[in-house]
Amino acid sequence: MTIKILIIDDDPDLVLAARMPLEQAGYQVFSAGTQDEGLAAVDTVRPDLIILDVMMDTHTAGFQLAQKLHGAGADPAHKAIPILMVTAVHQTTPLRFTPDEDYLPVDAFIEKPIDPRTLLAQVSTLLRQS
Amino acid sequence: MSTATQSPTVSSTSERGLRPTHDELRQNVQLLIQLRWAAGFGILSITAFARYVLDIRLQTTALLLIGLAVLVYNFLLSITFRGDTTARQVERAAWVQIILDWIAMTALVHFTGGITSPALIYFMIHAALAGTVLLPWQARSLALLATAIVIGIALSEREGILPHVAIPEFEMSSALYQNGTYITGVVFFFGTAIFTLSELVTRIAQRLRQREERIRELYEARSTFLRVATHELRSPLGAGLSLMHNIQQGYAGEFTPQQGEILDRVTRRLEGLRTLIDDLLTLAASQEVTAAHVPLEPVGVCAVLDQIIERETPNAAGKNIQLTCEKSTEAGVVMAGDVGLAIILGNLLNNAIKYTPEGGKVSVKYRLNRAAQRVEISVSDTGIGIPADDLPRLFDEFFRARNTKTLQVTGTGIGLATVRTLLDRYNGHITIESEEGKGTTVHVTLPLASATL
Repeated sequence: MTIKILIIDDDPDLVLAARMPLEQAGYQVFSAGTQDEGLAAVDTVRPDLIILDVMMDTHTAGFQLAQKLHGAGADPAHKAIPILMVTAVHQTTPLRFTPDEDYLPVDAFIEKPIDPRTLLAQVSTLLRQS
Repeated sequence: MSTATQSPTVSSTSERGLRPTHDELRQNVQLLIQLRWAAGFGILSITAFARYVLDIRLQTTALLLIGLAVLVYNFLLSITFRGDTTARQVERAAWVQIILDWIAMTALVHFTGGITSPALIYFMIHAALAGTVLLPWQARSLALLATAIVIGIALSEREGILPHVAIPEFEMSSALYQNGTYITGVVFFFGTAIFTLSELVTRIAQRLRQREERIRELYEARSTFLRVATHELRSPLGAGLSLMHNIQQGYAGEFTPQQGEILDRVTRRLEGLRTLIDDLLTLAASQEVTAAHVPLEPVGVCAVLDQIIERETPNAAGKNIQLTCEKSTEAGVVMAGDVGLAIILGNLLNNAIKYTPEGGKVSVKYRLNRAAQRVEISVSDTGIGIPADDLPRLFDEFFRARNTKTLQVTGTGIGLATVRTLLDRYNGHITIESEEGKGTTVHVTLPLASATL
C-alpha cells in the first residue's frame, strides 16, 4: 500500500516544491490550502504523515491546527499521525521552535526554502519512527 | 509575530489631558519621597540653626514636631511604596502625599509668621510638583486651594481666630499681619505667581506626555511595517528557492551544464537576498527589544546558550566543523532580554561558523567570574580572520571586512552592529581579537544581575 502524505499549505508554489520530490520517491501526495480543508482532509485521506506550514493566511493558523490535531484532548487517531512543520522563522524569531507537547505539538521541523533532499530524509525518518 | 514586549503602561487620553503613565507616576512618587527626606531634615536643622545659632525666637517645638512628622510619614510612605505596586496604589500614594505635604506646609507657614512667613514661597514648589503628577484641572484646583489657604491663614490670624505666631526678627512692624493692604498685596502676588507656575508646569508636562505618546505610536507603526514587509518579502523568496532546489536536484527533469550554472548563480543571488531580509528582521527585532520602554529582566545565560548551540549545530555539521562548548557549572543570570541575548549569541556563533572553512573548529566558552561580578562568553574559530585595518570598523552598520568578498559567503554587515546595540543596552562589553588567516575570538562580558540591582 502506498504511503499517503498530506501537505497543508496556502502557498501553491510551496506545495508544488514539496510534491515533486515526494511523488518521485513514490509517496501519494494530497494537499489542502486552508486550516479547515486540512482538518477535513485528515479524516477523508487518512494520511500517514502531515506536512504543515507554520504561517498560513494568519500567522497562527499552523499553530492552531497543530494544537487541534495533537494537543490535549485531540482524537487519538489524529495524534498518531506525525506532523512535519515547515517554518521560515526558526532562525530569527524568539519563539520556541522546539517540538513541545503543550506549546507546539509537532514531531519535526523543516526550514523554508525547502531542500528536497532534506525533506525526503525527514519524511522517511518520521515514517520509520511511527 | 511580535518580538516586542508591550510597555506595561499606556497612558489614557481624555479631553482633560493626558494622565501620567504608571511608570512616570511611580518615578515621580519616588522622587518626592527622596526630596521629602531632605525637606524633613532641612526643617529640623534650619530650625535648630535659626534658634540656637542665629538666636531667632522661633516656635522651636512646633517646628521640630512638623519636621519630625514629615520624616515619620515619609518613612511610612517609603515602606508602603516598596516592591510591586499597582497603578491604583501609586495614584493613591500620590494623593496621600499631596494631602500630607499640604497639611505640613500649612502648619509650617502658620508657625513661621502666617502671611509674613518667608516659608510662604515654598507653596510654589508644591504647586510645581503637583503639576508634574496631576491632570491640568487638578493642578489648577490645587493652585486655587493654596491661595485659599494663604487667605485663610491671613484672615484667621488678623481676626484673632488663630493666634499670630510672631517672629520678632522678621517683622519690621509688629502689626504687619493686621495690615489689610499688605495682606492683599501678598495674596495677589502669591495667587498670580502660583497660578502661572502651575499652568506652565502642567502645560510642559502635557506636551512631553503627548510627545512620548507620539513617539511610541511611531515606533510601533515602524516595527509593524518592518515585520509585515519582511514576511511578505520572505514568502515569495522561500517558495522560489524551494522550486529552484527541485530543478537543481533533478526532481524536475534533466538540464544542461550551462543551465545548471545559471541555476546556481540565480540561487546564490536569491540566497543573498534572503540573508539580507533575515538580517533586517533581526535588526528590527533588536531595535524593538532595546527600546527604552522595554524593561530588562533577569535571563539565565546558560539556557539561551544551549538553545543557540542546538540551533547552530546542524549548520556546523553541514560544513564539517567541530563545534564545542565548555561551560563552567555555575549558572549566571544577567539583566537583559531573552530575545536580545539569543540574537547576540546567535550572531556570534553564526559568524564563526560562516567564516570558518570546511573542517575547521568553533569553540564556545562560558564562565562565571564571581570576582568581577560578570559572565564571560567567548567564541573562537579557525576561520579566515579579520584584517587588522578593518577591526575598528567592524561594528559599523553594513560594513564587511575586505576578505569576506573573496569567500563565497553571503552577509550584510548588520550582524555585529546589532550585537553592539544590544550589548550597549545590557551594559555588556565586546572585544574582538583576530589574525587574518588564522581565526577570530570574540569575547563578550555581561554584568551579573546581582551586580546591577
